[in-house]
Amino acid sequence: MALLNRQLGFSLTHLRSAVSQRHFSITAACRAIQKLTRVRVVDNSALGNTPYHRPPKCIHVYNKTGVGKVGDKILLAIKGEKKKALIVGHKMPGPHMTPRFDSNNVVLIEDNGNPIGTRIKTPIPYTLRQKGEFSKVLAIARNFV
Amino acid sequence: MAAVAMAAACGRLLLRGAAARPSRCFSSSGCRSSTDGDTAKFQPPPKPVIIDKQRQREERRYLSPEFIPPRGRTDPLKFYIERKDMIQRRKVFNIPEFYVGSILAVTTADPYADGKTNRFVGICIQRGGKGLGATFVLRNVIEDQGVEICYELYSPRIQEIKVLKLEKRLDDNLMYLRDALPEYSTFDVNMKPESRLDHEEIPVNKLQVRMKPKPWSKRWERPKYNIKGIKFELPEKKMKAAEKWSQPWLEFDMLREYDTSKIEEKIWKEINEELKK
Amino acid sequence: MAGWALLARLGARLRAAGAAGHRGQLGPVARHGNDATWWHEHLSEENVQFLKKTTAEEYKAQTASKLCPLKDEPWPLNEWKPDSVRVGVVAVKLGMMPIWTKSGKKHAVTLLKVQDCHVLRYISKEESEGKTAKLIVGGKNVSPFFKSEAAMEIFKEAGVPRKQKVTAFNVTDDAIIKPGTPLYAAHFRPGQFVDVTAKTIGKGFQGVMKRWGFKGQPASHGQTKTHRRPGAISTNKAAKVYRGKKMPGKMGNVYRTSYGLKVWRINTKHDIIYVNGSVPGHTNCLVKVKDTKLPNYKDCNKNPPFPTFFADGDEKLPEDLYDEEVFQFTDPSVTYA
Repeated sequence: MALLNRQLGFSLTHLRSAVSQRHFSITAACRAIQKLTRVRVVDNSALGNTPYHRPPKCIHVYNKTGVGKVGDKILLAIKGEKKKALIVGHKMPGPHMTPRFDSNNVVLIEDNGNPIGTRIKTPIPYTLRQKGEFSKVLAIARNFV
Repeated sequence: MAAVAMAAACGRLLLRGAAARPSRCFSSSGCRSSTDGDTAKFQPPPKPVIIDKQRQREERRYLSPEFIPPRGRTDPLKFYIERKDMIQRRKVFNIPEFYVGSILAVTTADPYADGKTNRFVGICIQRGGKGLGATFVLRNVIEDQGVEICYELYSPRIQEIKVLKLEKRLDDNLMYLRDALPEYSTFDVNMKPESRLDHEEIPVNKLQVRMKPKPWSKRWERPKYNIKGIKFELPEKKMKAAEKWSQPWLEFDMLREYDTSKIEEKIWKEINEELKK
Repeated sequence: MAGWALLARLGARLRAAGAAGHRGQLGPVARHGNDATWWHEHLSEENVQFLKKTTAEEYKAQTASKLCPLKDEPWPLNEWKPDSVRVGVVAVKLGMMPIWTKSGKKHAVTLLKVQDCHVLRYISKEESEGKTAKLIVGGKNVSPFFKSEAAMEIFKEAGVPRKQKVTAFNVTDDAIIKPGTPLYAAHFRPGQFVDVTAKTIGKGFQGVMKRWGFKGQPASHGQTKTHRRPGAISTNKAAKVYRGKKMPGKMGNVYRTSYGLKVWRINTKHDIIYVNGSVPGHTNCLVKVKDTKLPNYKDCNKNPPFPTFFADGDEKLPEDLYDEEVFQFTDPSVTYA
């Protein structure tokens, strides 16, 4: 029984972390990344990881459709700054046999395409290699799916 | 990690001699460990029974849900043509028997991956599609990031499907794992496949998951989904309000019934003939 | 031919009986054609069964007799030339399924079954008063009992069962085929491109938002009874409504053609054409398939079976013909090395 109780306590901490992550509502419309989509920064850059009262928000998608998918660059409003970012995963299911993630993940990049952080914390899809222009971002990734 | 520890805990509980109460039994692996003690005394059943079971197993492998044609006015010839291709693919490539709730490891050919192959381990949360377009969705949590991949069952890019743990869950669709606590969909990538005897029944894992706080992607407490695998921790008032959407008359609607037993028999006969060729 | 004569006599008798005043007792019944009665209304159950049986036998005999056109000499065959236009076929749309290429890419294909397809009549250029000669082709056998004698004439001449769908194809003079010749799926070959014509799914009377994709009006902000309406249809200065103005009306149920669809695979046993992508019309509808008229695909459509594929010819085909890119399920899984 004691063991079981410890189990419950353990899961409760998990629960708390899950709550803190969810500080905004996630609706169906937010699944692919468009303007005003709130995103999660998954690299270890200081800019993306220091807490701020407003979540990072997409204010522009650099493609013709205005809907960002994996491999598209976007402009973020983050901590009162404008910063470019690369989409490395989204909630909307893509083509079959490609991963779908539980959050909209981005990696912050400079204007010249170099990533700001030095490590990506979450797995990123192999399909990013398709375009062949993000080698510096791919180099700092630890895990692929 | 947590799941493994929990399973061990359950196993200990059961071994202590307590009756296997389903509500307590979080994982069926615990149940199996208790039966393992009897393997020394285990006698193989008489031979004809084994053959029968093997046939059943083969039948179960082949009569996976995508073989049953959907209702409609489509010409049955279309499904026959598709089935012929499906059987042909299954002759060349081993598609094992698996269910929603089983843990699978799928190896695919991927031109962008290292070594050109990509392996993904996860729990099957949904099976969809009929005929050649059948799909299944695997889910896992890797580095605190939920990842799902929808695989096409008959795609030639799939190189291997391995069942690591064959079991069923209380529901036919586990999409609610997206809103459940992450430990329920976390599985070790280097998991060892569990061995099981061919003639055993498929174990049903009666695990009830605990959910993250609302909002969820769907209102799983509504009777429409008929979810048994969630431990709802909602206030009594909310559960009562959800009951408002129940449609108890639907089970008496005879037009909604789709009896597939005869179709299955026919298809199984057809498959046998094809396999002999 | 005994069945036809019997039918004709029956039809005459029925019409006479109808004229004698049986109309009052019928009540509201859906009618077919201009016949006053159902074909079996004044027949005993046995006679109906007998007629059905003889017609089925006759259908079989007719189809069988057309399988060997060597009995009476076919029309002279010509060589294929780049400017010749072949006849097409009438097919039934079965549904869709996926197909994979050897590179692992998935495509959706539509299955079209060429069912009881026969050439019915040849109309020469002068007769048709058009630019080219025509071949009339029919597909899918159906019951002959609901058609008038006049409408059955074309089938009787060709000596084939009644068809559900009859359609004309413009052909060049070197591509004409003798009426009564059966057409098969092997008329087309994998790798070539086709055009498919069919009636689209009828949507009934629809508003402008669904029919033409208009934007409509906002749901709120003071709108009164104006949410899905077209808005203004012309200007004050024009003082008229221009012809062709997009307005509400009947949507769908019109002939549409999808051009340049690739043939991935042919099943010669069941006569099925696997055509890339979607095709107009609902499942089980009858479609018209012909070589594409798009100039870009002329290179892919070289040297087809000309004027058509004859089942009793020298060419023996395997059960399945594949395009060279298609992944066949007898092969092992795809790998990228």
